[in-house]
Amino acid sequence: MCGAFGAESRDHMKKNATLLLLPALILSGGVFLAPFVWLVLSSLKVRAPGSLMLQDGLTLANYHRLLEDPFFARVMLDTVVLSGVTTLACLVIALPVSRFIVRRAGRAKGLLLALTLVPLVSGALLPALGLIHLLGPLGIFNGILKAFGLIGSSLRLLGTKTGVIVGLVQSFLPLMILPLVNAMSRLPRDVEDAAASLGAPPATVFRRVVLPLSVPGIVAGAVLVFCACLTSFVTPQILGQGKIATFGIIAYQQAALVLDWPFASTLAVAMLAVLAVCLLVTTGLQSLVTRGRRAA
Amino acid sequence: MKQETLLSAIGAVWTILAYIFLLAPIAVLVFASFDNAAFFRFPPAAYSLHWYEAAWASAEYRSSVGVSSLVAVVAGLISVVFGSCAAFALSRYKIPGAGIITAVLMAPLVLPLIVWAISLLQIYSMVGISGTLLALVLAHAVVTMPLTTRIMISTFERLDPQIEAAAASLGAPPLTVARRVTLPLAMPGLVSSAALSLLISFNDVVVSSLIAGARWLTFPVRVYAQLRGEGIDPITLAIGALIIALVLVVVLLGEWAFKWSRQL
Repeated sequence: MCGAFGAESRDHMKKNATLLLLPALILSGGVFLAPFVWLVLSSLKVRAPGSLMLQDGLTLANYHRLLEDPFFARVMLDTVVLSGVTTLACLVIALPVSRFIVRRAGRAKGLLLALTLVPLVSGALLPALGLIHLLGPLGIFNGILKAFGLIGSSLRLLGTKTGVIVGLVQSFLPLMILPLVNAMSRLPRDVEDAAASLGAPPATVFRRVVLPLSVPGIVAGAVLVFCACLTSFVTPQILGQGKIATFGIIAYQQAALVLDWPFASTLAVAMLAVLAVCLLVTTGLQSLVTRGRRAA
Repeated sequence: MKQETLLSAIGAVWTILAYIFLLAPIAVLVFASFDNAAFFRFPPAAYSLHWYEAAWASAEYRSSVGVSSLVAVVAGLISVVFGSCAAFALSRYKIPGAGIITAVLMAPLVLPLIVWAISLLQIYSMVGISGTLLALVLAHAVVTMPLTTRIMISTFERLDPQIEAAAASLGAPPLTVARRVTLPLAMPGLVSSAALSLLISFNDVVVSSLIAGARWLTFPVRVYAQLRGEGIDPITLAIGALIIALVLVVVLLGEWAFKWSRQL
């Protein structure tokens, strides 16, 4: 009897769990994941001439167009370079910051981490709106430099790659800081202290102990920042002022302004493919590095 | 030891500079909103609350802020309720395939949203709901749900199931246990996830700029369209500054009350 009761309650629990999970799964699976299937399908279609309707049958015409016009390959290459530079800049800024937050910030740690959230929940638009006023020809940065007599005429930052990179680094720096802090917090202090007590100077401890053990955090942060950069369009559009083309911008234009949805899907698929390749290269490099270290 | 202190000082200065850089854009936005002129230049000739008054008077902007708020509240509600239910199931029951289920639920945090939105736009048009409030709310609920789910999973995992078991063994029916025991204990997590999903939804421009129609135009989409066309309207700076103030208050209050930084 007891056993029967147990089985019944297990069934009951199963039903409960299913009911609790179902709404979220429908939303994530149906509204989020299903469109990715449609994306691939629609990239294999073309519009009927003179209408928004799709023609029957599948074709590779969009992919031909993507590969034949060197413009797209060039923009993709530019975007990859832009994202790479941004990722590197984020890493260089975030490493000492994360180390400071983990080791020395003490009671300020919570405050600093909370402030890291601010750009993440402010959306892409408001910080970009602020950056226009910071970097513009009559903006604060140029104004201060002129006031000190460092420059005669304004530096052109808006509408240049430099301006876009500054905006991207500002937007996505939190995505590097948070995983790094996470990884460095897990590092036992004893390990560093042991290295230091054996006579390693702080720089050596950082280079030979802290840095290698933070590799998972570095990789996680780099992947997050790189993905975010490669697919971003709001920040590069606003700070590039239409003079800088990134892959995200042209995909957005095809989808929202030109309304060539099948081709927009093709560009989106291309972004996913490039991201996948970059991810594979990263994991390959990471395993090479760890294996190399073990061998050494 | 001396070298240690020097390094520590360099670390502190570097960190302060990094945070100045991180927060400079929003500080500048707030500063520029007080410039009296129609075109910002530094240093401003005069400061005033002129653009705040104009913002208050503008029915157009009031309505777009209204749309943003409505979408954020409804989507936030869906995302918190659905996310909490899923989180409760995942943290309390042994579920076969829990890893895959979690991966599906977290997918919107990992996969690029613009790619998704390009496809969603087409599906909405096929289903016939493009440009509707439902379309926006659904999309925002999807975007914010992984975050609420994650916060709620860590909330429920810290909650001792023995407490609920004790209430049940004392004769409380399941609904009473949920209402009188589980819910109050999970309140910090619920408030945190609601606050974060409200802010993210309210400020979203990536997804909304692709799927919002003219009828339901959120504030960020409106400003984005304007920036590409006519340029900067100083009224948007005043509204943006108010939003930034709200973000800062919510984030700092959340950290103070619930120690958000420990859940990241």
